Amino acid sequence: MSAKDLGISVLGADARVQIRSDSDIVVARQKGRAMATASSFAPAEATLIATAISELARNIVLYAKTGEVILKIVDNGNRHGIKIIAADEGPGIADLDRAMQLGYSTSGSLGLGLPGVKRLMDEFEIVSAPGKGTRVTVLKWRT
Amino acid sequence: MNGTVQDLARDYASVLRTYLTDEDEACLHRVYELGRRALNADCGILDITVLHQKALIVALRQASTDEERERVLRLGHALFLEALSPFDMSQRQCRDASVGLRRLNETLEGEVRRIAHALHDEAAQLLVSVDLAVDEVAFGLPAHVRDRLDKIRAPLRQCASELRRLSHELRPPVLDDLGLIPALEFLADGVSSRIGIPVVVTGSTDGRQPGAVEIAVYRVVQEALSNVAKHAHASNVVIEIRQSESALHCTVRDNGTGFDMSAVGAKPAERGLGLLAIRERIDALGGTHQIVTAPGEGTELLLTVPLGGTNGDSRSAR
Repeated sequence: MSAKDLGISVLGADARVQIRSDSDIVVARQKGRAMATASSFAPAEATLIATAISELARNIVLYAKTGEVILKIVDNGNRHGIKIIAADEGPGIADLDRAMQLGYSTSGSLGLGLPGVKRLMDEFEIVSAPGKGTRVTVLKWRT
Repeated sequence: MNGTVQDLARDYASVLRTYLTDEDEACLHRVYELGRRALNADCGILDITVLHQKALIVALRQASTDEERERVLRLGHALFLEALSPFDMSQRQCRDASVGLRRLNETLEGEVRRIAHALHDEAAQLLVSVDLAVDEVAFGLPAHVRDRLDKIRAPLRQCASELRRLSHELRPPVLDDLGLIPALEFLADGVSSRIGIPVVVTGSTDGRQPGAVEIAVYRVVQEALSNVAKHAHASNVVIEIRQSESALHCTVRDNGTGFDMSAVGAKPAERGLGLLAIRERIDALGGTHQIVTAPGEGTELLLTVPLGGTNGDSRSAR
């Protein structure tokens, strides 16, 4: 199976995965984990990166139906990191503060969902508005 | 819940078998979702550990060489990490919430101190100066007028001393100045004279404790004594303080009527605010509390507050 068949387009070190279903989430996780391992992230950190991808991608499948996850290796001169961008053109989020406190649903009360991803990552940014889709950008530095 | 654990155990064992042949990301994804499901169903990390262990033992029995066993352990470990990852996320939230709760308590303490200071040094002081002014006016006036003015002065003085008492109860200066044991003794004396039974403080601490610990233990004992006064019909209360290497232990024991813990309600929302306040105070410092009671058996409240890790910002918050 080629990268194209898997829905992965390789742009240098970057990867772009279309998200439509659970099996696409698996592809995004696999790609993220491979990038993390190649960048010498510890196994537990690679697991957390896969976890963040899962949470972001499952939101796309649940609420926007389709979207994409973009993975990039970043380097600020001192440190290596992985940037994950989850973007969709779905219904968007009307109340971002609430979504960040409680997540979309009950998952937030358990610390999962968007608030959970924010705690796992070093940097977190979300841009969304009703009817304008949602774009979440997170970054994890290698320790 | 048992049914859920059985379902999860069956699914976990099935994913492990598949992962041992396929070794693909889909299995890791499935186990991650399984961990999420377990968390949603109120399962704990120990439940997950047990079902992982059971599945692993079955897989190990089927491995015939050292290489195979080593591979089962390695892949099993990767799967286990995935199942635990949702719990890791959830635990981070608890830690954040605990820090938030501690900050909130510190903010509230600051407010209480401000109010106590205003009552004592401003309101009560004003009343004293009004009393003195009335006294000055009274000087040289006929006796029957002085009598009438004295009738104003008596409640003024009573009001001032009431405000001071309230201020001391809100935030006893002795806690800031002398520490936990003297503050508890002060509190015990007050409660003892109010409800007319002996309230004894025993034990000691190794010098001053972090401010957040002192105020939390003080507040919890205050809450416990208020419960004793309201409900226990006790004839004797003992407050015991003991310090171990890493924690402060406090026991509040009365010989009153006790109560049926199960009747107070298992859900936090059904418990009294007092018990809830005790739990939150202690949770915020990573401590534990236990209430031992039964009808006719008296009540014992046991607190343990860790002394490590609270030194950082606690002092400045006092």
